[in-house]
Amino acid sequence: MSDKLKQIIDKQGAQQADTGLDQSDDIVQLVGFIIGEEEYAVPILAIQEIIKPFSWTRVPQVPPYVLGVFNLRGAVIPLIDLRTKFGLQPKKQSDETRFIVMRHGDDVAGFVIDRLTMAIRIKKENIGAAPDTMNGDDSMIDGVGQQADKIITILKVNKLLERDF
Amino acid sequence: MDEFQEILQDFLVESFELVEKLDEDLVELESNPEDLELLNGIFRVAHTIKGASSFLNFDILTHLTHHMEDVLNKARHGELVLTPDIMDVVLESIDLMKELLNIIRDTSSDAGVDVAACVARLDKVSGGTGEVATPTVEAPAPQAPEPEQVEPEVAQAETPAQEEPDYDNMDPDEIEAEIERLLQQRQEEDKAKRAAKMAAGESVPEVPVVADETPAPEPEPQAEVAPPPPPPPPPPAAPATPKQEAPKAAAPAKRSPATVEQTIRVDVKRLDHLMNLIGELVLAKNRLIKINDDVEERYEGEEFLEELNQVVSIVSLVTTDLQIAVMKTRMLPIGKVFNKFPRMIRDLSRELNKDIELVISGEETELDKSIVEEIGDPLVHIIRNSCDHGVETPAVRTANGKDAKGTIDLKAYNEGNQIVIQIDDDGKGLDVNMLKSKSLEKGIITEKEADNMSDKEAFGLIFKPGFSTAASVTSVSGRGVGMDVVKTNIEKLNGMIDIESTLGVGTSMKLKIPLTLAIIQALLVGVQEEYYAIPLASVLETVRISTDEIYTVEGKSVMRLRDEVLSLVHIGDIFEVERILDSSEHAYVVVLGLGTSKLGLIVDTLVGQEEIVIKSLGDYLKGIEGIAGATIRGDGGVTLIVDVVALMQMAKSVKTTASIESSTGGSALNEKTKASDYTIMIVDDSKTDRTIMKKALDAMGMTLVEASDGQEALNILKSGDYNFDAMLIDIEMPRMDGYTLAGEIKKYNKYKNLPLIAVTSRTGKSDRMRGVESGMVEYITKPYSADYLASVVQRNVNFKSEFL
Repeated sequence: MSDKLKQIIDKQGAQQADTGLDQSDDIVQLVGFIIGEEEYAVPILAIQEIIKPFSWTRVPQVPPYVLGVFNLRGAVIPLIDLRTKFGLQPKKQSDETRFIVMRHGDDVAGFVIDRLTMAIRIKKENIGAAPDTMNGDDSMIDGVGQQADKIITILKVNKLLERDF
Repeated sequence: MDEFQEILQDFLVESFELVEKLDEDLVELESNPEDLELLNGIFRVAHTIKGASSFLNFDILTHLTHHMEDVLNKARHGELVLTPDIMDVVLESIDLMKELLNIIRDTSSDAGVDVAACVARLDKVSGGTGEVATPTVEAPAPQAPEPEQVEPEVAQAETPAQEEPDYDNMDPDEIEAEIERLLQQRQEEDKAKRAAKMAAGESVPEVPVVADETPAPEPEPQAEVAPPPPPPPPPPAAPATPKQEAPKAAAPAKRSPATVEQTIRVDVKRLDHLMNLIGELVLAKNRLIKINDDVEERYEGEEFLEELNQVVSIVSLVTTDLQIAVMKTRMLPIGKVFNKFPRMIRDLSRELNKDIELVISGEETELDKSIVEEIGDPLVHIIRNSCDHGVETPAVRTANGKDAKGTIDLKAYNEGNQIVIQIDDDGKGLDVNMLKSKSLEKGIITEKEADNMSDKEAFGLIFKPGFSTAASVTSVSGRGVGMDVVKTNIEKLNGMIDIESTLGVGTSMKLKIPLTLAIIQALLVGVQEEYYAIPLASVLETVRISTDEIYTVEGKSVMRLRDEVLSLVHIGDIFEVERILDSSEHAYVVVLGLGTSKLGLIVDTLVGQEEIVIKSLGDYLKGIEGIAGATIRGDGGVTLIVDVVALMQMAKSVKTTASIESSTGGSALNEKTKASDYTIMIVDDSKTDRTIMKKALDAMGMTLVEASDGQEALNILKSGDYNFDAMLIDIEMPRMDGYTLAGEIKKYNKYKNLPLIAVTSRTGKSDRMRGVESGMVEYITKPYSADYLASVVQRNVNFKSEFL
């Protein structure tokens, strides 16, 4: 390999490392949403899309929080009601109800949430660990994000997409 | 490197094809040892593989095939008679050859198989001493030997000064030329060697093959005669020049210009992808048809409709053709599976000391590749079973006045959208009583079940897990799992098994399998507000019955279907469907058949037959009992596909059935503690009228909900936000009038007892009649007094007087 080429490659590598640092600057981008009274968030990169509710098909022999399956442009995707999953009373869907389609690896599912809040940029240092009582591998909570006026529970997408029945 | 890999791939593909054919031919040869053409064909296979493997430096394989070739060559020239014992050795060597080919496929090297013993035997057979030096391959062999490794020696021998060419930088043509050149060199070298050996009078079989040596010398000049083997064996010993033979062995991909390629090898993944795309297209087509129907209804008689119709039908026609065309590209002849059976039967009959002949027909029948791959094992089990348990020993057969030679008939044919594989034997047949007593003994069935069992059901017992009819367990069958596996495998393919048997005459088994797996014909059924798709292959028939034809026996529903008693199960009980809508007095029964068992599935409606594409429910929802997958319908909705196998299992544990049950519940349960617990809906398109009614009822303190037309009222009712005790309904309203509304409401089981009160200015008798017909309980004509309205409402909701 010629020295020149090597130089160029080295340079590129250095640049990438630089930009990597710039970007990360330890900011996490999240999408916030409300379920019941609480605000939750998931990393924006885990979200495939957010859609308005439409009809789904019930599937038998599943827990009540699995509403069924729906057709997302030709793919059959499970639909999970986070209210029911979090132990809240089911509520009628309103104009603000949304399906958030999340992806982790090959697993995809739609989640029903009460309403969206906003995209959140939060510094990593402002994210605390989940309370000890809720920690551990089984917990759905990744951490707690602190913002000026409120705290947000950050959920583990892989846990949400894990079948637990 | 790539060139070599390509050659290796072609070599393997070709070799496997040849070997497959070989098995069949050898068995036929044994019964027909004089058939020179067959013998020539077999000889050529051994020779071709030998030639190619020596070029590719697979010394062990070369060594083995070389000795096979010797034996076969002698047989070919009548110097040797192929006795069964010799045949055993030859077959053994072919097994070894297969094993070697497998190893080469996996590791690109032929190390690790000991062929010495077999070679020694082969050598003895062909008149040698049995002492043969076996080449060894240093294990682990360094990657695949590359052309560079083959050629240097040759190159050095001829032109030692020549530098090693840079193959990596050559274009394919140059490499081709280079190979050609080197081969020529090698042939010349060979010739020289052979001549030297001939001169020395060395006998051929004893020539030790040394690892580093280029191809073993041919035993006879005729050996080189073998032409490139096309799938059907060419006329015997068609002479060809060595020049043609050698390049063929080196690079099978390169054909002489005369034989134009008629086929292309395509990666299966590409076909799978194509099949998926077609699946999408079929879904889109279904959707288009649905939209077309809707448009037709709405714009009846419009000119553009005809054009649209034409386009839609062309699209649907082409889609169907396309689907069939792609399906066909995935089809393989079932002969691929059948080929291994003659050999199997031969081995089995020797092992069991029986005389069995296998007659195969319909091997050209085609099936989807994935099914061909799955069908092999079940067939092996069935045929082994026929040999072991079905066909009797020659002594018994002659005693029973049968031909000493037993026959197993294996045939495949198309029947509609299915392929049928039929296995008939002329053995002793299945003994119903023996089957029953055996199953009783093993606790598979109860005494009572045994008594009620039809012959067909009894035959089905052989598929039960834990059942084995052989008194002694042999290595052939009788492990008690075989036939059980058969059933599961066939059912996995959405297939059915049908057994016919006559004691002493024989048994006939029919496997019916759908042609393809990805796109299937399904029957769509409705239950309440849900739809399910049932694979049509499992549907025997559908019948419409009235609910009083359903009888209950031991807590299970049954019905009489012609002269059979059919057990029934309601699809709603299996899939936990909520009974919202009132079921009518008629129901449809879908008779499902799977193997030998039958079940009647009660559904509310039959929607029709549709082509559906099977989609998986994904990891999150996999393994739901009774659901095989999902499909997307024309309207974009998802419909679940019923897993008939699982459903039949589930039906056994479902007790509650159909129609009876639950009409209680509803509003009666809610205890009223205050006046505002009573909820009334007022449906009227006129705001004034609604206000008048409100005023009349306000005084009682009831909760009042307003709706301005029938549709809105229905939506409010369905939303379940309120629990209504009565509804006041105007008749004439936009969107949905009062009669229609009442009709819709009465469809729901839960609102059967909800009092509907018509409040209208229509006073005609026929209007009243219609009101009653649609389910109204009271009919108040406008104008009315506030007190009268209040009293009618109070009466209908059983208003407690203490709230007044």
